[in-house]
Amino acid sequence: MKALLWVPFLVFPALIQSNFILSIFIFSFILAIAAVSFNLIFGFTGQLSMFHAAAFGIAAYVTSLTSSFFHVSFWVALFPAIGFTILISLIIGSICFNFQLRAFYFAVVTLAFSELARLVILNWNSVTNGTLGLMVLDKPSVWVPGAGLIKIHGVLGWYFFSLAALIFTVAVCSLVLGSWIGRCFAAIRLNEDLAQTLGIDTFRYKLLSFTLANTLAAIAGSLYAFYTGYIEPNYLSINQSLDIISMVLLGGRSSVLGPIAGAFVLTGLPHMIDLSGEARAILYGLVLILTILILPQGLIGTLASWRRAA
Amino acid sequence: MLQLLVGQTLNGVIVGTLYGIIALGVTLTFGITGIVNFALGEFMMIGAYVTWYLFDVAGLPYPVAIWPAIAVAAGCGFAADQLLFRFTRNNLINGLLVSIGLISIIEAAALLLWTTTPKDMGYVLSGAVALGGVSVPKMKLVVFALLAAVMFLTYAALSRTWIGRAAYAFSQNPEAAMLMGVRTEVLQSTVVVYSTALAGFGGALYATLYSLEPSMGGLYILKGVEAAILGGIGSLIGSLAGGIILGVTEAVGSIYLPSAFRDAYGLIFVVAILLYQPAGLFGTER
Amino acid sequence: MWRLIWLAVVALAASPVAAQNVVKIGQIEAQTGANAIYGYMSSQGLALAVNQVNKAGGFKVGDKTYTVELIASDTRGDPKEASIQLKRLLETDGVKFVFGPFLSNVFVTIEPYAKQFNGKFLLMGGATRIHDFIGTPEHDFLIRTWNWDAGPRGFGNLMVDRLVKETGAKKVAMLFQNDQGGKVLVDIYTPLFKEKGIETQLELFEPGTKDFSAVLAKLAAGKPDVLFPSYSDAPLYDIVRQSTEGNYFRKFFLVRGSLGPGLKNKDEIDDYFVYVPKYFEQAEKTDPKVAKFITDYKAFYKRDFPYDQAPLCSSSCYDHLFMLIEAMKKAGSVDDVEKIRKELLSMTYDGLWKIRFDEKGEEIFNFDVVRMKRGGQISVTSVDVQ
Repeated sequence: MKALLWVPFLVFPALIQSNFILSIFIFSFILAIAAVSFNLIFGFTGQLSMFHAAAFGIAAYVTSLTSSFFHVSFWVALFPAIGFTILISLIIGSICFNFQLRAFYFAVVTLAFSELARLVILNWNSVTNGTLGLMVLDKPSVWVPGAGLIKIHGVLGWYFFSLAALIFTVAVCSLVLGSWIGRCFAAIRLNEDLAQTLGIDTFRYKLLSFTLANTLAAIAGSLYAFYTGYIEPNYLSINQSLDIISMVLLGGRSSVLGPIAGAFVLTGLPHMIDLSGEARAILYGLVLILTILILPQGLIGTLASWRRAA
Repeated sequence: MLQLLVGQTLNGVIVGTLYGIIALGVTLTFGITGIVNFALGEFMMIGAYVTWYLFDVAGLPYPVAIWPAIAVAAGCGFAADQLLFRFTRNNLINGLLVSIGLISIIEAAALLLWTTTPKDMGYVLSGAVALGGVSVPKMKLVVFALLAAVMFLTYAALSRTWIGRAAYAFSQNPEAAMLMGVRTEVLQSTVVVYSTALAGFGGALYATLYSLEPSMGGLYILKGVEAAILGGIGSLIGSLAGGIILGVTEAVGSIYLPSAFRDAYGLIFVVAILLYQPAGLFGTER
Repeated sequence: MWRLIWLAVVALAASPVAAQNVVKIGQIEAQTGANAIYGYMSSQGLALAVNQVNKAGGFKVGDKTYTVELIASDTRGDPKEASIQLKRLLETDGVKFVFGPFLSNVFVTIEPYAKQFNGKFLLMGGATRIHDFIGTPEHDFLIRTWNWDAGPRGFGNLMVDRLVKETGAKKVAMLFQNDQGGKVLVDIYTPLFKEKGIETQLELFEPGTKDFSAVLAKLAAGKPDVLFPSYSDAPLYDIVRQSTEGNYFRKFFLVRGSLGPGLKNKDEIDDYFVYVPKYFEQAEKTDPKVAKFITDYKAFYKRDFPYDQAPLCSSSCYDHLFMLIEAMKKAGSVDDVEKIRKELLSMTYDGLWKIRFDEKGEEIFNFDVVRMKRGGQISVTSVDVQ
């Protein structure tokens, strides 16, 4: 049934021919991948990780650098990016979870690692070109039945490509969360000590959640880099992490699809309503505050509970 | 080389007290209300801008100008407490996220009022003294003395007065404290307001040393949290010590290593401390 | 950032109703966020210019009268925002003339998309990295609206020359922000100094730094003659103050930023050399156009005139709108981009600044070099590069 929700997205480009609107959708899809994956570790496992933007950005750099340095395609370059993300997630996750850091300290340590990663990328000029950033000129290619191998170039191509990636992400998350692994995540979120006494190896499951979330973020980062055609150290900034957190909070952290709504609203709304920069910042702050205090379920969560109540 | 080292150590100590006053606010807020108020940097900014306005634009003498500045910062702190933090007591994640939302709002308001053009306040005390072969600006010494004094006074007040002991009791065992007649809501609000007043005071002093921009608070809250963790959240002396250690490390580290890594030292400290000595250098495990 | 919808103004009852002909002008700048001061000043100047044009009843091309509609977007320094905003401007709003961006990272991200519209619009921005693309094939849409430091007519060369001649400096300490702007300056000035046989020492500081004591001490240990700090006033006030207080440096050389930091510390400084697109304090007294601009600014925005930051109005800000309109008049069209571009590149405009473009589209404008000695004694040299 849930599959029907995707149909409007599939037919949308036929109705709206505006490149401007479609590109907002493309960015929303890619950022939604980051948001949905963040919700794995935050909404479902209950850990506030500030490392998400770092995974997003580091993978963007690894994919771009591998692709341009070794002259390989996007898909081949994706492997070292994902591999590297898994590796650092395991290392950082092990460090954090092994030492039994409580919620706030976990956020602070992941923040520290995220900032350290950003500083390394910012200053490693010989490899990353530091603050000047790198242009990513290559584009991914897909095999389309009938047309062969084509490069994804225009807005339409990217629209369906990023939509497919989002559907893939949602499928993976739904599968994981629907399984016994998902139930372990929920147990950890609700009461970690109790989960431990019930025999759940909380260390292992937190590490799994953290690693999977970062890996999906890595995919989002690589897509973002190839779509915008330019990467810079700001991809790993704290603001990027906060943006993703806001999307999840606004959309709703109790569902897999919730963050998608948040991604769309926060990416698209500034372009629909003409606001001054300051007004936009105030609105953003209000969104964070109001969703925490008044709408803790987020938009989708609140709608869902209304429907259930009706 | 030795002169460079001595000079930078001195400077690091002074800069560290600015980190320390924010760290003190962080530690007090965490101890009594169970959240970390990330917006403390913004209250510092409010204090700084109001001081600038009263001193530069309205022409009040500096010692007179700082009191309304602290009052405005504390007033905003009170508003934030009643409207927001009152609902996030002991909920770290919510408190954190709400305070981050507050940062956007306060910074946007500052941009609307004063724009992004930097403001450089007229010098309150210029000139420098030669200390051990290095030239230390007089105002920096004054700032150091005032901040350290306030921090020690806070410590003394908390350990000697009734309010202070009530606060300690509350942080140990909230229910027992309540049963013993401590007005917990009043206590929590007071602490929030006091920590924002401290930040405002820090801002008023900051304005005598550096130029002002609406985004100035971001750096200080990060350092303040790092210093608080380093010293041990819950320890008042720890916040001063943590601030100074952080300040000196950054200053001395910048001599031997590229200054591009200045921010990394604090981060590495935080990770190391939280892993191996979670109570911080002076704290007791909570 | 505002969407100003200006209806055609019917001035006199006797005249026939003018057709509501509107020319849309787009602007993509970072008005908030890091390094927003450039974009902020540009947006201020452009909004003021648009207001003046429309208040005067618009402008006439051929036998039609046009008013200007300004669509100004705030990119917040985020390349993603800029790419969406540019799409909207070019595809949804059908804009043919876009001012901005000043930030290089924003420009580099929108360049591939903008290239697809080569010949259909003009992008007039001050970003340093526009220089890398201007004049290359398929980039006719680019016009750079700021002086270029390097190159034969560059002010960098001139400044370095003067520094050597007038102070005999042999070693220069460079203190730049660790971001795009700073890096580009390193790339431009290190070879310029080397050419003249001047030794350099470089330190980069993190954006947001306020206490420069450590890095100043480090630089001063190398015993250089002059400090070359950069680049917007926010860090400059602190750098200059701390340099003099800590007795590290008393001689300064600047190619970005204003005279403000120097004036504030005038009794502690020996020498302060700065490239200022225009020294407004003096120009106000000698140039009626500048005086009018200042009066208009204060009346329109109802706040003090930012003398320090006003020189930033040299980039795609105020004069450029009037230049564009004049080019339209000469070309006899408001949407023949190629004709208008030709006219732009062949005119010399004398407004707040005296401006013209070279054959590639790089701007050349007259500027001031201000030198301040201890005590506040100021000498202004106006350099005519035409």
